[in-house]
Amino acid sequence: MKRFLWFLGPILTVLAACNNDLNDSDFLAGDQFTDSKIRVVFTDTLSVETATMKFDSIITSQATRMLVGSYVDSIFGKVRASSYFQLVPSGYTIDSEAEFDSIIMFLTPDNYYYNDTLQNNSLYIHRVTQILRPNDGDSFYNTSSATFDDNELGMLDYRPRPTTADSIEVRLDDTFGRELYTMLQEKSITTQDQFNDYVKGLTIQPGAGDNGSVIGFSFESTASFVRLYFSIAGVDDRKQEYLDFTINTTASPIPFFNRITAEDPLDPLGTLEREEDHLSSALTGNRTFIQSGVGMATRIEFPHIKSIYDIPGKGTILGATLKIRPTVGMYDDKLMLRDILNVYLVDRDNGLVEQLTIGGSALQATLNRDNEEYSDIFYEITLGSYIEKLLLAEAITEEAIILLPDDYNSTVDRFVLNGEDNTDFRATLELTYAIYDED
Amino acid sequence: MKTNIRSAMALLTLLAIGEVRAQSEGLTSSPYSLYGLGVINQTSIGRSNGLGYTGIGMKSATDINNLNPANFALTPKNSFFYDVGVRGAYNSYGNRVEGESKSSLNFSNLAFAFSIVEGLGMGISLVPYSDVGYSILGIGTNIEGSTETFESNVTGVGGLNDLKLNLGYSLTPSLRLGLGASFLFGNIEEKESFVVSGSSFVLEETTNYSGARLGLGAQYDIGERFSLGTTVQLPVSLKGTLKRSVLKTLDLTEVEVEDETPDEVSNFKLPMELGLGISAKVFPFLMVNMDYKRNFWEATDQSENTGTYEDQDIFGIGLEFLKNEKGRKLADRIRYRAGFNFDNGYLAIDDVKIESYGITAGVGLPLNPYNNSMINLSYSYGATGKLQNTLIREDYHLLTLNLSLEDLWFAKRKIN
Repeated sequence: MKRFLWFLGPILTVLAACNNDLNDSDFLAGDQFTDSKIRVVFTDTLSVETATMKFDSIITSQATRMLVGSYVDSIFGKVRASSYFQLVPSGYTIDSEAEFDSIIMFLTPDNYYYNDTLQNNSLYIHRVTQILRPNDGDSFYNTSSATFDDNELGMLDYRPRPTTADSIEVRLDDTFGRELYTMLQEKSITTQDQFNDYVKGLTIQPGAGDNGSVIGFSFESTASFVRLYFSIAGVDDRKQEYLDFTINTTASPIPFFNRITAEDPLDPLGTLEREEDHLSSALTGNRTFIQSGVGMATRIEFPHIKSIYDIPGKGTILGATLKIRPTVGMYDDKLMLRDILNVYLVDRDNGLVEQLTIGGSALQATLNRDNEEYSDIFYEITLGSYIEKLLLAEAITEEAIILLPDDYNSTVDRFVLNGEDNTDFRATLELTYAIYDED
Repeated sequence: MKTNIRSAMALLTLLAIGEVRAQSEGLTSSPYSLYGLGVINQTSIGRSNGLGYTGIGMKSATDINNLNPANFALTPKNSFFYDVGVRGAYNSYGNRVEGESKSSLNFSNLAFAFSIVEGLGMGISLVPYSDVGYSILGIGTNIEGSTETFESNVTGVGGLNDLKLNLGYSLTPSLRLGLGASFLFGNIEEKESFVVSGSSFVLEETTNYSGARLGLGAQYDIGERFSLGTTVQLPVSLKGTLKRSVLKTLDLTEVEVEDETPDEVSNFKLPMELGLGISAKVFPFLMVNMDYKRNFWEATDQSENTGTYEDQDIFGIGLEFLKNEKGRKLADRIRYRAGFNFDNGYLAIDDVKIESYGITAGVGLPLNPYNNSMINLSYSYGATGKLQNTLIREDYHLLTLNLSLEDLWFAKRKIN
């Protein structure tokens, strides 16, 4: 018995060790029983500096559509988009018995449009008179241009229906068509090079006085093309055939671009000539601007972000949200807002560094429309990780973030946003900060 | 040889305890353990658990009295005392709104005592000094600069151990002096977590405290029936070192803010503690203990998050009934114990001191007539705190089981 007891001690001790699941409590103590050791501080007074910058140019040879149209904007001036492209014949053979009928350009809208589609637009198709090759590098830009024959090959005045899949047809000049037809039929053109020597390219220009909308056309080979019609006499009737010329988007460098310009914008936006300059929102009526296509962007800096460390104690941020309101009256059903803007990082000279991401996907400014009926809408950007990077940076980098629409090389969307001193709703950084060690 | 085996078993137990304490998870479950170093452990060794935790003046040559180092002088020559205990607790606590119950089973002590020479005894004990085990949910705090609040959950586990070396010396047949050296050590792990505007935040702090504390004791016998005792624990500043981990989610991504980063933490000061005790054999079959302790917390000049430290008074009384120690029948040798203990607390929250009291009952069952080995069982019921606006009342039922064994060294057994 007694010997057994001497062994019982260790057994009891081990038993006592097997009782470890005590801290799964549901007990809600009173608030005064103890306090949190952690302080959480919310602030929306950290300084935000907004400005407008403008890229020298935007690469448009990688655009996802053709853009043609023109309208006059009260802020951004006369906005004009025209498209330049090279054609690729689908074949080089025409029956020697055939006869020329006509030549027509088909254009299919791709759902993109901006501003007033209730106004008529006009399309002027001209023949480009120089080889479509970039001046330097591999790309064309929104600022690129090419010479073209003053006499148009064809024109159409039309009411845009950008959301339908119906193509529109522009009858081209018969003389041009017949000449091309003859050269093909007589085997003067049997290669792409020979063809491009003869037809260097086409351009579609909006009418000089158009003030309606900018319309996007698909450049897919089945959507937009030039079709040469001819017919062959049969026993009883004539048999119609055709040859297609599609838009060349596969050569390298791509012999395609959209020229996008905005002339005579509101002062002092016109003074933004150098990419490394920016105009503080204070100089532009406490507003900032975005215009895709021409590369105007809203630039945001947080110059005194480290002042959060003025709060004594060790802390870390738990969240940061930037809120920016589109200026009321500067958008409507025609001059539409987009629900999403992308966020990019630029260096001190406004050189594009990278697109910001969150959890592997693009970081986006999303338009909060919860109180839209009261015009109480604003873009929200989750900037926790970016602000944390600024806070942890040893040196001041003078980097900034800019806001641009996702497909800024293929659109002409424009935005007017409230700056940090706007009395209606200032651009605000909301920060949540936890202090976990008061010493 | 047999002694060697027993010593080995004792050592094994000690190691096992070290292991248990090192894992230290939820050794108690009391919301009050979030204050200071946790709930300071009252349970002691052997029979005093049934005696209202009294025994400063109690003279005992038959077991380990850990409450006064002077008593070790009485450890008989050739005797080896060994005491191991466990305790099981059932706690219920609640505020005005709701309540909860928890049970726990823990090691409560391990102790040895032996005589070096006649009149000089020594003891080593390992007793939990304090226990931390709490989980408090829904602490609402304002987010500064807004009208919003966040709700945090705090949990804590751990505790401190007291490894104590005691020496007792008989200066005269009626006056014994004692010296105790405590090595206090242990970890307290605290965790606070909350979610605010979609981001979670978790703070984990492990604080290690250690320090050595000296204590003195004396016992004086007035005749055969009365003994007086006194003890002093000198103040000590326990050195604290802290390691902190902070984890958060930012923009839905987990971010490690700090990982086991060392930081400074204020030392924790334990106060001077004075104890007085009297023990009387009122009748041959009835012993009465009365203890009074005063702990001078105010002099430590420390502050707590929500409370203030105030001087603490502890009163205890214990009775032991024994029909006949040398009785032939087992029933005659069973010891029956009862006690009461009142502690007015060392911490005041909103000027309300956290008082507690306990009623104890116990029994000592001798294992055989040839030595002093005994199984000591005790039960105690107690309550802590008042159910006022801000406080929590806690009721507990505590059972202790101690194996208080004696082995005789260098003495040939005549019968076994």
